[in-house]
Amino acid sequence: MGFEPKIVAFVCNWCTYTGADLAGTSRIAMAPNVRIIRLPCTGRIDTLFILKAFERGADGVIVSGCHPADCHYTSGNYHARRRFAVFRELMEFVGIDPLRVTFSWVSASEGGKWAEVVNRATEQVRRLGPFETYPRAGRRVSYERRQDGENAKVRKEYL
Amino acid sequence: MQELRDLARKLFQERKIDALLGYECDRRGVRPAFVKAADECDRLIFDQRCVHNLAAYLSPRRSHVVALGRLAVVIKSCDARAVAGLIRENQLKREDVVLIGVRCGGVVLNPDEPGELESRNTAPRCVGCEQREPALADHIVGEPKTAPAGNQDRDARLSEIESMNLDERLGLWVDLLSRCTRCHACRQVCPMCFCERCVADKTLPAWIESSPHSRGNFAWHLTRALHLAGRCVDCGECERACPAEIPLGLLNRKAARIVSARYGYTVTDDPSKPAPIGTYRLDDGQEFME
Amino acid sequence: MSKRRFLSKPDLGPFVLDLIGSGARVIAPVRRLERGRDFIEYRQVRDPNDIVLGGPLPVRPLKEIVFPPTETLFRWRQAKSLIEIEESPTSFEETVIVGATPCDAAALEIVDHVMGWDYKDELWFGRRQATAVLAVACTQCDESCFCTAVGLSPQSTRGADWFLTPSKEGFEIEVLTPKGELLLERHDTRCPEASGSPAARASQVADKVQANLKMQPGKIRSWLERHFEDPLWKDIALRCHGCGACAFSCPACHCFDIMDEPEGMEGGSRRRNWDACQPALFTLHGSGHNPRKDQTARFRQRIMHKFNIYPARFGEVLCSGCGRCIRVCAAGMDLIGILSEIGHRAEEAESAL
Repeated sequence: MGFEPKIVAFVCNWCTYTGADLAGTSRIAMAPNVRIIRLPCTGRIDTLFILKAFERGADGVIVSGCHPADCHYTSGNYHARRRFAVFRELMEFVGIDPLRVTFSWVSASEGGKWAEVVNRATEQVRRLGPFETYPRAGRRVSYERRQDGENAKVRKEYL
Repeated sequence: MQELRDLARKLFQERKIDALLGYECDRRGVRPAFVKAADECDRLIFDQRCVHNLAAYLSPRRSHVVALGRLAVVIKSCDARAVAGLIRENQLKREDVVLIGVRCGGVVLNPDEPGELESRNTAPRCVGCEQREPALADHIVGEPKTAPAGNQDRDARLSEIESMNLDERLGLWVDLLSRCTRCHACRQVCPMCFCERCVADKTLPAWIESSPHSRGNFAWHLTRALHLAGRCVDCGECERACPAEIPLGLLNRKAARIVSARYGYTVTDDPSKPAPIGTYRLDDGQEFME
Repeated sequence: MSKRRFLSKPDLGPFVLDLIGSGARVIAPVRRLERGRDFIEYRQVRDPNDIVLGGPLPVRPLKEIVFPPTETLFRWRQAKSLIEIEESPTSFEETVIVGATPCDAAALEIVDHVMGWDYKDELWFGRRQATAVLAVACTQCDESCFCTAVGLSPQSTRGADWFLTPSKEGFEIEVLTPKGELLLERHDTRCPEASGSPAARASQVADKVQANLKMQPGKIRSWLERHFEDPLWKDIALRCHGCGACAFSCPACHCFDIMDEPEGMEGGSRRRNWDACQPALFTLHGSGHNPRKDQTARFRQRIMHKFNIYPARFGEVLCSGCGRCIRVCAAGMDLIGILSEIGHRAEEAESAL
């Protein structure tokens, strides 16, 4: 009995989605834990999607799109790259493990690479375990006495 | 102060402005003042209690302020960065506002603070400030001032958090953000939060849940920090306004640090310098991508 | 059973431990350090040494305990066309508030009117029922307090089940309600009968509060009734950021929003969240029209609701004079200044007749 991570992948239609399709038609074996959500471009990927995935039970997230200079909409992935770079560090600052979120460039012809990304991400998240500490439940901490401020351990009953 | 009042009167008499936004004394301390005629200009003051960032009132979303007509605004050099941000992002035309820069040697955090400015009551935003007067201004008033005396390490808590492990950090932030009641005071007082319709107010779907539970609060504060990355002018008003005493500045300053380290950008009162989010370079770092 | 009892200072701690031991959740003002400042807030206590009585006003209002910022009304589970509803519990944890301020306690009673008006709110009253309020007379105030102007005082017993008056050796207790009597029965030995004459209630504090604002609510009401379009509103509202920090800090404000939220993939919950009339979203219609389209209209609404509409309907203002709105406002809006100005105008209008 092992823990099977739930991973959500936000991928761009023109490159990674096509690449993933290629991986499938080429019968490349890969971990079945990833649920793919197709978007027109990585530029459309709002960082809220990543948070929403964690809110709704994902243990890991993959975000993938066209290589720089290959974006179907010319510059969507450049904007996305900056946004992801900043948000990734912000998430880490707040305590979300960066190993749970994988960012990649996978082109339409890189079926093999997609399989690698999927397998690596799944293994990584499997090792980290379920993401139980993300605030998922609609609970509100109220009146519980805590140690003052810093270094408070994660309290499961709030989550 | 007399210099400021004389200038204000002159601007009214020469019909250069319809209203002036500055500071005045009130029952308890200092508050923002809207002056509408030359004979009201004696209300205007400027002293160490003038902590408010008046650039917040320049947002086009405040229709009742826009209705006043052509405004002059009293700004410190920190506030000027916010004005520059509004101009940079096309919310304000430079020629539509008269900027009265004021020489500043620091302000106290609490506008009701009765004491003199000293290092123990200096507002955190002033610590290390090297700009005594704004570069973005039509007029400069006030006596020359010396640098603020505060010596607190503004980023001590930030560094402390960075030395914690991930579990501790998440526990700390769930804790801190749990006090948030989603009053959105942080957003309302922020000059850079000028969106007519904030993403947090959107329903169907509600990407950011409006409920003040830990799930909704996380989404709200992380999103706001990201939307302000590279745009936040570090005026500290959000922290001052928060009725739940949440150290919001930590998130914004972390985002500022990230943007500075990666893109070499620090917020500036020069509206012609582009902000880092919304622009890109072909050679932006991507070491985190596979 | 005598209604006048005494709790000595050394007995306060054991009394609180007794309360906790009897299964009650004890909430009291405690000191907390944040952002380099220390402030007081109401929190659950397990260690009586944390309790701070007679200190400054807690920064967040007591209403949080009977009216949480977010509350589930019910949950649903859905599988195809089969929907299951799980009602939220309507019995609540027994709670004792040790050290409520008189303004906070009174505000609970003031809001009772609307919560029991056209629909009896089971959640509000369920929590009220389960909560005993032990209020303590104020021994300090600041320039933002104005409870005396709204018919209360630093020694007001409204809303309290026990009213504690501090003295040198402890607290003189006045037991005021049947709930208070029940509580006394359980802790009879800790609180012996008070001897001697009642402790003098500190009137210096009341004097200071009176000096902050004198107001005649009836005159304010009639001015408000006749001056909906007065240019004063435009001037006052210019500074307001429309953030609602005032409403969220107010012990009497009680507006709420209802939201449905999915939880997981099979269901969700309907919640009631705090809301405030100050942001534009409050009255934004689905069509895009907003009847209160700028801050002038919205700020006017706040004053009208508290000092005109609520008293018209329920006979008293929706305000207990705690002053939190004044202290918390980042833009320097000052309700004492505003009420004072309106009071002057009301006087002028009257003498002009």
